[in-house]
Amino acid sequence: MAATGFWQAGHRPTLLAAFLYFDLAFMVWVILGPLGVQIANDLKLDPAQKGMMVAVPVLSGALLRIVVGVLVDHLKPKLTGAIAQIMVLASLAFAWINGVHSYTEVLILGVFLGVAGASFAVALPLASRWYPPEHQGTALGIAGAGNSGTAFAALIAPSLAAAFGWLNVFGIALIPLSLVLVFYWIVAKDAPDCPPPKPLTAYLTVLRDRDAWWFMFFYSVTFGGFVGLAASLTIYFNVEYGLDAKTAGFFTAACVFAGSLMRPIGGNVADRIGGIKSLSVMYVVALCALIAVSFHFESAWMALALFVVAMLALGMGNGAVFQLVPQRFRREIGVMTGLVGMAGGIGGFYLASSLGYFKKMTGSYQIGFLIFAGLAVFALVGLTVVKQRWRTTWGSAAMTAAKI
Amino acid sequence: MPLTVSVAHYSAAGPRARNEDFTGCVTPHGIDLVSKGFAAVIADGVSGAGGGREAAEHCARNVLADYYSTPETWEVSQSLDKIYGALNRWVQTQARATRDLAGMATTLTTLVLRGSMYHFAHVGDTRILLLRGGQMQCLTSDHVWQRPEMEHVLTRAVGLDSSVTVDHGFGPARTGDVFALVSDGVWAALATTDIERELNRVADARDTVEHIARSIVELAHQLGSKDNATALIVVVNDIDENALRDVLHSKRELPALPALDIGQRFDGFSVEELLHQSRVTVLYRVQDLHGRPLVLKALSRTAHADAHERLAFAHECWLNKRVVARFFAQNVDVPEDASASYTLTTFHSGKSLGQKLAAGEYFNIPETVKYASELARAVGALHRRSIIHRDIKPENIHAGDDGQLRLLDLGVAISGFEVAELSRATRAGTPSYLAPELFENAEPGPRSDIYAVAVTLYHLLTRKFPYGEIEPFQSPKFGEVIPVSRWRPDCPGWFERIILRGLSIDAEQRFETAEELLIAIEQGPLSAASPTLARARQPLATRNRLRTWQIVAALSILTNLFLLFMLNR
Repeated sequence: MAATGFWQAGHRPTLLAAFLYFDLAFMVWVILGPLGVQIANDLKLDPAQKGMMVAVPVLSGALLRIVVGVLVDHLKPKLTGAIAQIMVLASLAFAWINGVHSYTEVLILGVFLGVAGASFAVALPLASRWYPPEHQGTALGIAGAGNSGTAFAALIAPSLAAAFGWLNVFGIALIPLSLVLVFYWIVAKDAPDCPPPKPLTAYLTVLRDRDAWWFMFFYSVTFGGFVGLAASLTIYFNVEYGLDAKTAGFFTAACVFAGSLMRPIGGNVADRIGGIKSLSVMYVVALCALIAVSFHFESAWMALALFVVAMLALGMGNGAVFQLVPQRFRREIGVMTGLVGMAGGIGGFYLASSLGYFKKMTGSYQIGFLIFAGLAVFALVGLTVVKQRWRTTWGSAAMTAAKI
Repeated sequence: MPLTVSVAHYSAAGPRARNEDFTGCVTPHGIDLVSKGFAAVIADGVSGAGGGREAAEHCARNVLADYYSTPETWEVSQSLDKIYGALNRWVQTQARATRDLAGMATTLTTLVLRGSMYHFAHVGDTRILLLRGGQMQCLTSDHVWQRPEMEHVLTRAVGLDSSVTVDHGFGPARTGDVFALVSDGVWAALATTDIERELNRVADARDTVEHIARSIVELAHQLGSKDNATALIVVVNDIDENALRDVLHSKRELPALPALDIGQRFDGFSVEELLHQSRVTVLYRVQDLHGRPLVLKALSRTAHADAHERLAFAHECWLNKRVVARFFAQNVDVPEDASASYTLTTFHSGKSLGQKLAAGEYFNIPETVKYASELARAVGALHRRSIIHRDIKPENIHAGDDGQLRLLDLGVAISGFEVAELSRATRAGTPSYLAPELFENAEPGPRSDIYAVAVTLYHLLTRKFPYGEIEPFQSPKFGEVIPVSRWRPDCPGWFERIILRGLSIDAEQRFETAEELLIAIEQGPLSAASPTLARARQPLATRNRLRTWQIVAALSILTNLFLLFMLNR
């Protein structure tokens, strides 16, 4: 059979719906970050509380990703996606109508926004199951471009908040979310052949492999760094450099764009020069940028430049990890993506919350950055361990393909 | 289910004085049935001065005998081709030596049923007919002159010329297939429809095989055939879907090897030392009751739980028993009452080249050349058995204290035998030693092993990899090799050229066989087999001018943007 072109294969409307759904969900997921400056002012939050506020959606998104993954297996992706989206809509509407009056209420809202972060586990299988293996990479890339939602949020949300007040941003967000939900429900279709549900024991089995732990750690540094910075930078630029919420949002958007655009490039580079080699380089680059940035430069532009460098490296690192994971864990790929994604979210939660925590404790963000840089050093050590272990024969059994 | 067939034959001289046809078959039992299968042969001798029968009988008997003596790792076509070639030489020599036998030759058509496939080799005008689903087809084509009056003059036969070109074919066999091997005395006299009708009677079990074989031949003579007529009929009652898997099956029943302590006794062996432990395998040095040191190899617990790994391990054991040569650690039979799944091989004191490298040992040129020629012999010994090692690297090359070099670890080796699920993964092996074509999913072959030998030699001398170290899951780009002499100026030009030829990105440019490599090494500086030294690495400016200017332009744009930014601040 002749290989068909990418556009002939699969189901285009579903791919588009998955992309839009994912994009908007991610926008909402991190919305507390860009709005953080204004929310914090109104609710009089201290730095640690600010950090926690932006970190909670990241954590709940990470943990719910596994739950949603299991639901996708049992309810099919389309229905799961709709349920998740309705929960997000309801919580936003509730917040908009009743208002958010305290730190606790923000955290509760954050937990519900995490559901939107778990949309990852819906959008990707929804789109990729339609495609034959040779096109799955492209399909995943297109659907995964929804990552850019985080950048849009940083770009738009602060301006809207300045114009209409931050509470109303939740109301405004309801419009595109509902439109996309309707579009999604009409257009998206579950792929005809779905893999059988993964038993929960599969998660435990794969954790017996030491490499699984290392990869979860690698991703918790790269993706954790990416998402943690995306959530914290608006507040950081506001606090450290006195930028107003809007400008801080633009600065954050620049960093996030840099990181999300680099993801596919990172995957290609890893494929060409080797995942371990490229990850090592990216960790070193991110490490240096983070250490440098921790020494508080006079100019906000200088800090921006360094953050962009760090985000470029982390974004490429995300791509590199996901070039290795599907090949190393061919047969456990479904389970492994869930676990690795969860680890990434936990890393993001740690970075975002620790930055605020150390700001409160020591009056500066430096220690927070330095500890995270220390994690990157540990990841480098892990890479050399894995490299040593991987210098062996790769047998045919490890190479046999399995369907995702 | 093993392969089962019912066979019968009948042969009659007809009006002629002598019957120069010969037919026969072998139905082996046990392992031979699985690894070699069922073989049937028909030969129709051509008389010069009466040697036709001699030639036919000798060839048919020897095909059947020799086929079961060829290495089990050979493919059927390879085995039959070798045998046909040898028989052709024998018939030629006999015909030349003995006046009585001058001009003798014979047609020779062999059918082999193995696993779920049929294979045939064919020379001459005897035919193989296949009846399937009521329809009959002829699998062979007749090697005769296509001219009136000459339809029975052979263009090809065993003994006709100094070399013989054999037709090979194969296809899937099904339960209920009826194969008929017939001489021209049968098919020339009978209409195709007559034969088809008769064979259908067997297929429908309306008549016995014996009776039909006889009736076909007798019918041919009744219809006026002037020639000897012979028919051999094979009915496939049952085929064997997973030939090798079944033999390997017993291996997989035993439980995984428990963790052994040093000094412990296990199955009558005393455990001396843990030699190696990896993700998949574990190796112990043990001593048997006579104090003979052995290596005990088993799958790790996690790998044992994987059906694929068990099959691969069983395949490795199977190969190991079949490589009997000085270049390999020899298989020792596991005791009958073994309590776990493991294999035993002879233990040889010494170090692997990988261990020597790790210990910082320096490989001088004469020593490396000696290793190179031994390695070429060892790889040649494997390739002659149609085994591709796929994992040649210093860690798997053992330099014994007895001065013997041994190739270890047939873990990912493949042979001519079809175990599809084992050979499909082309990237099995160690990434840095994989030939470039394997990354493009080409079939591994002798030349990919030769590439690995060349990388090994390169690595021994320089401790580097010719195209840089390649990681697992990488799709590397193969650029230019940095010559060995860059790091090892003492490496003679001829040896460097041999290594570089082995490292050619294009497989066709490499040595064709390990023997060719061996000859080149042994001829040393006189070797004409190695091409001139590859061109020295060229700077980017000469290699790719367009790219050079693109880079210059891109840098210039970036500089200008930066300047613009500085200006507007």
